[in-house]
Amino acid sequence: MNIIVCMKQVVDLEQIRIKTQTREPVMEGLPVMFGDFDKCALEEAVRLKEEHGGKVTAVAAGSAKLKDTIKEALAIGADEAIILTDEAYQGSDTMGSARLLAQVIQKIGDYDLILMGDGSADDYSGEVPPRVAEILDLPQAGFAREIKVVDDALHVTRDLEAAHETIALELPALVSVSTEINTPPLPALTDILKAGRKPLHTWAPDEVGVPDKAGLDPAQIGTNASVVEVLSNLAPVQDRKEIIFEDVEEGLAEITKALESEGVLEQ
Amino acid sequence: MEFRLSAEQKLFKQMVREYCEANIEPRVKEITGEGRIPDEILHGLADLGIFGIMIPEEYGGSAPVGEEMSYANIAIHEIARADMSMSIPVYVLLCLGWGFLISKYGTDELKDEVLAKVAAGDYFVGINTTEPGGGSDVANIKTTGEYKDGNFIINGEKTYISGVTEVMEHREGGHITLVRTDPDAGHKGFTFLHIPGDLPGITPVILEDIGRHGLSTGGFVYKDVKVPEKYVLGEVDRGFYLNMEGFSMARILVSSACVGMAEKALEISRDYVKERELFGRPIAKFEGISFEIAEDHAKLEQLKLYLQYAAWAADKIYTEEDFMSHRELSRIVSICKMEAPMIAEEIARHAMMQLGAFSYTKECKLGEALKGVMSYVVGAEGGHNIQKLIIAREFIGDVAVPYR
Repeated sequence: MNIIVCMKQVVDLEQIRIKTQTREPVMEGLPVMFGDFDKCALEEAVRLKEEHGGKVTAVAAGSAKLKDTIKEALAIGADEAIILTDEAYQGSDTMGSARLLAQVIQKIGDYDLILMGDGSADDYSGEVPPRVAEILDLPQAGFAREIKVVDDALHVTRDLEAAHETIALELPALVSVSTEINTPPLPALTDILKAGRKPLHTWAPDEVGVPDKAGLDPAQIGTNASVVEVLSNLAPVQDRKEIIFEDVEEGLAEITKALESEGVLEQ
Repeated sequence: MEFRLSAEQKLFKQMVREYCEANIEPRVKEITGEGRIPDEILHGLADLGIFGIMIPEEYGGSAPVGEEMSYANIAIHEIARADMSMSIPVYVLLCLGWGFLISKYGTDELKDEVLAKVAAGDYFVGINTTEPGGGSDVANIKTTGEYKDGNFIINGEKTYISGVTEVMEHREGGHITLVRTDPDAGHKGFTFLHIPGDLPGITPVILEDIGRHGLSTGGFVYKDVKVPEKYVLGEVDRGFYLNMEGFSMARILVSSACVGMAEKALEISRDYVKERELFGRPIAKFEGISFEIAEDHAKLEQLKLYLQYAAWAADKIYTEEDFMSHRELSRIVSICKMEAPMIAEEIARHAMMQLGAFSYTKECKLGEALKGVMSYVVGAEGGHNIQKLIIAREFIGDVAVPYR
């Protein structure tokens, strides 16, 4: 089973500083990484490959730092990786990203399954998986918590709010996974060393074109094609409530109630 | 010239940090209380390939060939950030530094017997040179090894040795031991051999340390202990030189532990002084605080870079012909070992002063850090002044050698 895993390089969200005066996030110079959803998708691909054979190809878009970041995907178990770091790809919105990924997937050609995270660790719009599936005309399932190969089909158990739903998909298919699906292990030193020797390709825009089909249209991706306008990304206002209870008994009761409603104390 | 880690080294550092923050940091207090490192932590570190860094793949290791010490430096640094008491970093660095000597100079039988177990985190390897009469004057040690029918018969006593309970009770292991095999040949009459803890005739002695409680300290009394000659490292009567070679590796990693601990201590104080307010402002506003942190940061950054150089040089000495002599490497390494414990001790002490009374409680990890690093200030892996002696010998020349 040949599996393509699409991954997005994101900044380490825990390292974002917020300017006290303006509540603006400081995004410069942050370390980059793959989010948990993406690592779960990759780990699931590696597991399926170990069970059913085939090959895992990681496809990732991001900044020039991606040639380092991608080593983690190769260490977790991708057999090869294609990275998309060209300036032309930067600033894509979800539609631009989906067009780019669909084009790359078509160029790779030989695949049975495409796996992605349900959403990216930064924006979490969750739009890219269905958009890619639509462009490629593939059956698609999201919120996957379990994937099984049964005969020629894929049985996917989806994590819905009130229930688990298991559906069957014909292959090839696109599945996006939740973090419930597995716990990606930390790669060991030997995996990391092997990662350095695995094939890693950087595809420029003119290499992403597909024979017999229209090539990648620069006007369809990147900042120019983005129709999403960010109106505000300020941190929420934090106000500390200074509540003073004059009466100790009343104060204790109110504090207990507050702690119970926050789930700190059990009722 | 590269002043940055490779992508693989960076990823390895990130993985070790992730593992240690999740699995070691929350358990340090428990380990200090129980006086023992849990097996699952050692196995977790082994799963990441850390115990195998200095061991070739054919013996079950994970050696990044030609970059072993650079990777070992990263691993020990990260472990010491998580266990500032130094118990786990020291346990691991001893296995790495002295396991390396077995990889390099052990007989095939010895390598087959222990290396895979070392790499799996199931076998401790320590160093065993110091005696009740002293440790700094290595050429004067008295424990004897008399050759008889394929064995060396060991008699004598070693003390201030790390990992005694570990090899006698907790798990399998042994100590690389320096013994006199030719009584009349001065420093050319020593042999280095591996003594497993389970040989008959060994009586352990346990000492109670002031810190670093997760790893025991003590000694061994040897009474007619028969050590098969397959346990000899390198050549008979050439042990002194191997000992010096092993010390270079171990001293680099001791410095890595000090630097990792100090880096974390400095981060703790940096974060604290930004939050802690006095006289209506964060105490970071006071230059008495901020300048001290700036100075400590500067010292640590210089040391970190020099240590990276030392680890790189230690890798090169084994991969590049005529790169430098082991004596030259010992000068570089001694600069690290002279500076690292002192700077780490100073940074831990400054951090305690900045945090104030809280740092003197057991709730704060800085007290254990200070006690842990003191073991390296006072002597372990070569005393502070011995490092100066080596540096003076190599830089000034033989005229500066007091023992001749």
